[in-house]
Amino acid sequence: MATIAGVLVRPSGEYAGIWSWVYTVDHKRIGVLYGITAFMVFLVAGVEAGVMRAQLATAESTLVSPDVFNQMFTMHATAMVFMVIMPLSAAFFNLLIPLAIGARDVAFPRLNAFSYWVFLFGTLTFHSSFLVNQLPDAGWFAYASLTEKPYSLGAGLDFWSVSLLVLGVSSVAAALNFVVTIINMRAPGLSLMRLPVFTWMTLITSILLVLAFPVITVGLVELTMDRNFGTHFFMPEGGGDPLLWQHLFWVFGHPEVYILILPPMGVVSEVLPTFSRKPLFGYPFIVFSGLVIGIMSWAVWSHHMFTVGLGPVANSVFTITTMLIAVPTGVKIFNWIGTLWGGSIEFTTSMLFAIGFVALFIVGGLSGVSHAVAPSDAQQQDTYYVVAHIHYVLFGGSIFGIFAGIYYWGPKFTGRLFGERLGKLNFWLMFVGMNLTFFPMHFVGMNGMPRRVYTYPADLGFEIYNVISSLGYVVLFIGIAVFIVNYLRTMRKEPDAGHDPWDAPGLEWSISSPPPAYNFAEIPVVEGRDQYWIVKQRAEAAGEPIPPAEAHVDPSTIHMPSPSFWPLVVAFGVAILGAGILTHVGLSFVGGVIAFIGAVGWANEPAAAEATHH
Amino acid sequence: MGLRPLGTSNRSLPEPAFRMAGPTVFPTNSKKSWFVKLLTLTPLLLVLGAACSQGDLSTWNPAGPVANKQLELFNALVWVMAIVFVLVEGVLVYAIFRYRRRPGQPRPAQVHGNLPLEIAWTIIPTILIMGLGIWSVIALFEIKDPPSSDEYILEVTATGHQWWWEFEYPDAGGGKTITTANELRVPVDTSVVVKLESDDVIHSFWIPRLAGKVDVIPTHTNRTWFKANGDQIDTLPATFTGLCAEFCGTSHALMKFKVEVLEQADYDAWVSNYGDAPVLTAQAEQGKAVFAANCSSCHTATGPDNPAITNGRLVGFLAGAAIAPGPNLTDLATRKTFAAGLVDLNEENLTAWINNPTDIKPGNYMARKAPFYQDGTNTLSAGDVSSVIEYLLSLK
Repeated sequence: MATIAGVLVRPSGEYAGIWSWVYTVDHKRIGVLYGITAFMVFLVAGVEAGVMRAQLATAESTLVSPDVFNQMFTMHATAMVFMVIMPLSAAFFNLLIPLAIGARDVAFPRLNAFSYWVFLFGTLTFHSSFLVNQLPDAGWFAYASLTEKPYSLGAGLDFWSVSLLVLGVSSVAAALNFVVTIINMRAPGLSLMRLPVFTWMTLITSILLVLAFPVITVGLVELTMDRNFGTHFFMPEGGGDPLLWQHLFWVFGHPEVYILILPPMGVVSEVLPTFSRKPLFGYPFIVFSGLVIGIMSWAVWSHHMFTVGLGPVANSVFTITTMLIAVPTGVKIFNWIGTLWGGSIEFTTSMLFAIGFVALFIVGGLSGVSHAVAPSDAQQQDTYYVVAHIHYVLFGGSIFGIFAGIYYWGPKFTGRLFGERLGKLNFWLMFVGMNLTFFPMHFVGMNGMPRRVYTYPADLGFEIYNVISSLGYVVLFIGIAVFIVNYLRTMRKEPDAGHDPWDAPGLEWSISSPPPAYNFAEIPVVEGRDQYWIVKQRAEAAGEPIPPAEAHVDPSTIHMPSPSFWPLVVAFGVAILGAGILTHVGLSFVGGVIAFIGAVGWANEPAAAEATHH
Repeated sequence: MGLRPLGTSNRSLPEPAFRMAGPTVFPTNSKKSWFVKLLTLTPLLLVLGAACSQGDLSTWNPAGPVANKQLELFNALVWVMAIVFVLVEGVLVYAIFRYRRRPGQPRPAQVHGNLPLEIAWTIIPTILIMGLGIWSVIALFEIKDPPSSDEYILEVTATGHQWWWEFEYPDAGGGKTITTANELRVPVDTSVVVKLESDDVIHSFWIPRLAGKVDVIPTHTNRTWFKANGDQIDTLPATFTGLCAEFCGTSHALMKFKVEVLEQADYDAWVSNYGDAPVLTAQAEQGKAVFAANCSSCHTATGPDNPAITNGRLVGFLAGAAIAPGPNLTDLATRKTFAAGLVDLNEENLTAWINNPTDIKPGNYMARKAPFYQDGTNTLSAGDVSSVIEYLLSLK
C-alpha cells in the first residue's frame, strides 16, 4: 500500500497558477469555471441563432442550405438548454449556495469538481461535431423516427445523444450534491423556512434534476442502441413506437422547463427585495408556489403533445393541469409586485434586469395560457407563436434573471462594481432587442408560419415580421457585446465593491469580496430570515457602526478539503467512454478503465494533502 | 430557386372575424420602456395591425367550422390575456414609478405579506382559469367529429412522406377508388374525415384556414376532419394551402399541399374522369416507354395504387434499394402544381425538376434513388426528358 499512497499524494492546498484551476475543489472556483464555459457556449449558440436570423431575413433566401439551417436550430436549442442556461444556473449554485447557507464548501467537493469536468467534456463532445462536420439536425427534441437510420445516416444524432448522456451524468451528480448540501450543511439556526429563496429554488431544481434526468437517460440509451446496435425501440418497422420517445422526452422535458426557470426566479426573488429595501413579500407563498410548480411540472408533459392524437379525454386532462400551473406562477408574479409595492426602489442594472424579467415573463406566461387550451393550440403548435412564447420565458425570463444575478453577485466574486452606465446600456439594448426579435413572432406564427423552416415564400406576408426579428437580433447582439466590454473594463479596474455594496440581506454579504477560500472564519448563527439585515439593523438601532466584513484569518488554521486530480481523471474516463460510441467501441473500454482507475484513486487518496494535516 | 413560385389565388378574402387590438398587447415595462417601446414599435404596430388577417395560411382567416371554433377560442383568450396584461403590467409600471427611491428616503415599512391578498390572488385566477379550462374542454369535444347531422362524409387517407403527401380516396363517390398526390380535391360544404398515416417519420397535417394540425405518426392512425364552408368562400373553385407542421427532415419547409374546394358537380366530374386512358401523341407514346423504363418502379400513373406494389416500394426503400415510395401521377395534368405544392405544373418547371430535382426540393429521394441520376445529375437525354414530359402532361 505504501507505493499506492505514494502515487496518491494530494496536491497541496495552495491555490495559485493555472494548475490550481485544474485540481481545484473550491466551490467558488468551480462556479467561475461553470460560468465562463457556459458563457462561451452562449456566444456560440448566439452566432448559430444569427445564422438562422440571417437566412430568414429575406423570403426564399439561399444564404445557407436547408441542412445547415436544420443543424443550426438543433445546435442552438440543445446548447442553450443543456450547455448555457442549466450550467449558468449551476454556476450560481456553486458560487452561492455554501455562502448563502453559511457553509465552507459543498457536501462533496470532489464530486462537485467531477460534475464540472464531465460538463466540460460533454460540451466539447457536442461541439466537436463541428470538427467532423457531422452536426445533429433533428431538432433539440429529436423526434423518432427521424432520428433513426435510414432517415438520419450521419453521426450527428450520435454526437447529440452521447453528449447529452455525458451531460446527464454531470447534472445528476451536481444535483445530488446540492440536495445534500442544502439539507445537511446549513448554519445553525438556518431552518428551511429561513432559507434565502434562491437556495430554496436550487433545492427544488436539484430534486427535479435528480428525478427528471433518469427519464431522458432511458430515452437516450434506447436511441443510441437503436442507432448503433440494431434495437428497435422507436423504429416502426421493428415493432417500435416513435411516440414512446415523445413521452420519455417530455416527461423529462417539462420538468426541465422549470429546471431552467426556477433558479432565475430565485435570483429575482433576492434582487427585488434588496433594491426595494424591503423583505420579500409573501415569502412562504413564493416558496410553496415553487414547490407546487415543481410537483405539477410532472403532470403537464402532454401539452407538448396536443396534436399527437392522444384523444380528447387526455387532451382535456392536460389542458386543465396546464392551466392550473399558471396559478402558482401568477402567485409568484403578484408577490414580486407586492415586494416592489411600498418599497424604495433603486434602479441599478441588476434591478432593471429583475424587473425586466417580471415584465417579460408575464408576456410569456400569458401566451403559455393561450396554448394550454388544446383546441386553440392546434393552430399554434409548431408555429412561430410557440417560438415567441419560449423565448419570452427562456430569454426574457431565464437569461434576464441570470443577468440580474451577474450584476447583483458579480461584485461579490470579483470585488468590483460593474459599470452602471454600460450596464444600463446593456439592459436597454437587450430589452428592446428581445422584444423586437420575439414579439413579431406571435403574429407571423398566427399567420401560419411554421417553426423550423429554412425558407418561406414571398407572397404570404411573412417577410416584414422576419425582417423586424432579424433587426432585433442585431440589437440583442450589440447588447451582449456591451456586456462583454463592461465585464472586461470592470475586471481591469481596482477592486472597489466593498463587502456589501447593496445593503443586502444575505449571509454572503457579511464576508469580504471576493470571499476567502474558507468563506466563513466563524460559522454564523442565524436568527431569522435575511440574517445580515437583522445584524445590520440591530447595530443601527443600537447606534453602533455597521460591522465590517469578517476579518481574514490564517487559512492553515481552517480545515478545508484538499484539491484533487481524480475527479478530472474519472470525468475524462466517462468522456472517452462516450467517445467510443462515436468512433470504436474499443475506445469505450479504454474509457471505462480510465474511469475505474480514477474511481479507485479517488476512493483511496489521503483525506488531506501532506502539508495540511491537522 | 429559379422557378416561379406558385401564386396565391386572387379571390378577395372575406372580412376577417377578428383583428388584433393595437397597442394593448404590447409589453410595457419599466418607466422608460414605455416610451422606448412606443417609439421603436410604432411602425411595427401599424404593419401588424394591417397584416394580422392576411394570407393563404392565416389562422385569422378561417373558412371552415373547425378553424372557426379554434379562432373563436383564441380570440377569447386574446381578450383575457390583454386584460390581465394591462392590469398586471399596469400595476407593475405604477409601482416602479410610485415607489422609486427618493434622496434621503428612510427605510420603508418592512411588510412581510398579506394573507387575505394571497388568498385572493390564488383563488381569483384559479376560478378564471377553470372557467377557460371548462370552456376549452367543451370545445374540444365539440369539434372532435363532424356534426352528426351530416348525411354524407367523404373519407380520405392522407399519408405523409418525406416530403410530399399522398391522398387516397377509398370511395371518392360511386364506389370509385382514387390515389393522388399533393392536391386534395373536395366538394364544398362537405365534411371530410382524413385518416392520417405515415410510413417514414412523423409529419403533421395542417390546413391553417380549415383546421388545426394533427400529427401524422408511423404506427398510429390519427383522424382529423374539416369542412370548407361555402359561405366563407367567395368563388369556387377555391385553393387552400396545407403544410407539414412537424419537422421531418431536410425539406420539411417545402412539404406542402393544396386543397382544391370544388362545386359538387365539378368534383363529381373529376371523380368520374379519374383514371380514364389518356390520349397520347406519338411523342407521348415514346415518353410512356421512357417512363416505364425509368420512373415506374416508384411512380404509378395508371390509376389507384396497388397496396402490394406500394408496400414493395417501402420495403425496398428501408432495405436501401434504389427505390422509394413516389407520388402517384395518374391524371397529373389535371393538377395545378407538383413537387408538394411547390411549383406550378407546366413544361418548363417539369423540365427543371427532372433535370435537377434537388434544386427545387433539396434532399429528395428521386435524385438520390433513381438510377438515371449520377451523383444527382440527370443522365436522361434531352429528347427522353421532353417526351416523358409530353407523356406526363397528357395524363388527364
